Amino acid sequence: MNINLYFSGIKLAAVSLLAMLVACTSTTVDEFRQGETGIESDESVVVLGRRQASDYETRADFVQCVGDRMSRGENAINVIPEQEFIDAMFPWFEPRTAPLRTRDLEQLMAEDVVARKMSEFGIRYIVWVDGFKETTDRQGTISCTIGPGGGGCFGFGTWEDDANFDARVWDVSSLTNVGTINTDATGQSYLPALVVPIPLIARVEANACNRLATQLKQFVIGS
Amino acid sequence: MPDVTVSNDPSRKSFDLHLASRVLLLVFVCLLMNCGVNNVVIDGSFPTPNISKLPLSVAVYYDAALRDFAYMEYSETGTEEFNIQSGQSHLRLFNAVLPAMFEQVVELNEMEEAKTRQVDAVFMPLIEEFQLALPSKTKLGVYEVWIKYNMRLVTPEGDYIADWVLTSYGKTPTDTFLSAEAGINEAAVVALRDLASSFSLTFSQVPEVRDWLASL
Repeated sequence: MNINLYFSGIKLAAVSLLAMLVACTSTTVDEFRQGETGIESDESVVVLGRRQASDYETRADFVQCVGDRMSRGENAINVIPEQEFIDAMFPWFEPRTAPLRTRDLEQLMAEDVVARKMSEFGIRYIVWVDGFKETTDRQGTISCTIGPGGGGCFGFGTWEDDANFDARVWDVSSLTNVGTINTDATGQSYLPALVVPIPLIARVEANACNRLATQLKQFVIGS
Repeated sequence: MPDVTVSNDPSRKSFDLHLASRVLLLVFVCLLMNCGVNNVVIDGSFPTPNISKLPLSVAVYYDAALRDFAYMEYSETGTEEFNIQSGQSHLRLFNAVLPAMFEQVVELNEMEEAKTRQVDAVFMPLIEEFQLALPSKTKLGVYEVWIKYNMRLVTPEGDYIADWVLTSYGKTPTDTFLSAEAGINEAAVVALRDLASSFSLTFSQVPEVRDWLASL
């Protein structure tokens, strides 16, 4: 019984230590408002990823994360899933044909089929998310060996993760850019290895997603 | 009841063990070296474009080169690495796109059928070039597919109307997918969607097509 309690204590301490190390992420959110906002209960928002850049593309799962978090909790907003919207609007929101400026959106809305679909979805705001996660400053070494009696790893590795995302909010009713929110999350990840490697990953993307979604929700509601 | 004979010859047993160990070694080496070509059959869904239809009756002819199109990617050592079969996915794509572009679309089994099908024109797509960029070679974190097409539009009698080149491009990040096959498939599907969007939106703007439409 005492041994069980002893091991439970060790486990608790290890989990607490891991939580402290994993939570080692800092996030900065900047908001730049250019117009008044507000949303009715029958209106919706679509969050889309920018995929025009040649060297990176905004990951679909990050875009989905932002959309999901905006549609949950207090003051939840009706968010149209990205792929559903892009498929319904095909071929107008593909990487090569998607509007880059609000002036392009104005031209696009002149197409009857596009205006009708937008109205069917009840889209009030289009949120363009653009960014990526970058890993820098890799340091340390880990060596692993395997033999007839077993195997194991020894060493220590560390690196820095930086997730930087911009979200531009377009008002479909006024065809203007009403604001931009920038989220920058940085964190140090560690990989100590004493027989077994223990990854302690900085959850920069998850933190960026949470903070961006919360800020976007407040921005769109107009509080 | 089949006859079962058990060999008690020690040299035979030694030979069998030797053979089995060689086969096992070969299988192990193959697993390590990833022996053999990986077949990737491009599979994806293509939405119907939301565009205004042209009041035309168009026939489409897919020749064997398009139906059976496959691209072989070789490794840096010259061995066959990926066999990408995209012919049928191209057919599915055109079959989704063309009915959204024209009032009536008929598929021809033979080019000679065109004269009897009462159509305004015959459309014949052809793949001229297919390129694949793997992250293991480019050191970029994306799978990339680039396809060059030759689009041809002729009269039912086979006379020239228009002939133009269209390129499509698709890329997908590596960290989204567990396997190279899934990454290649997704990049190819993005490229096919790119083809569908540029083809459907620029068809009427091709100078020869524009002149032909004006002459109808």
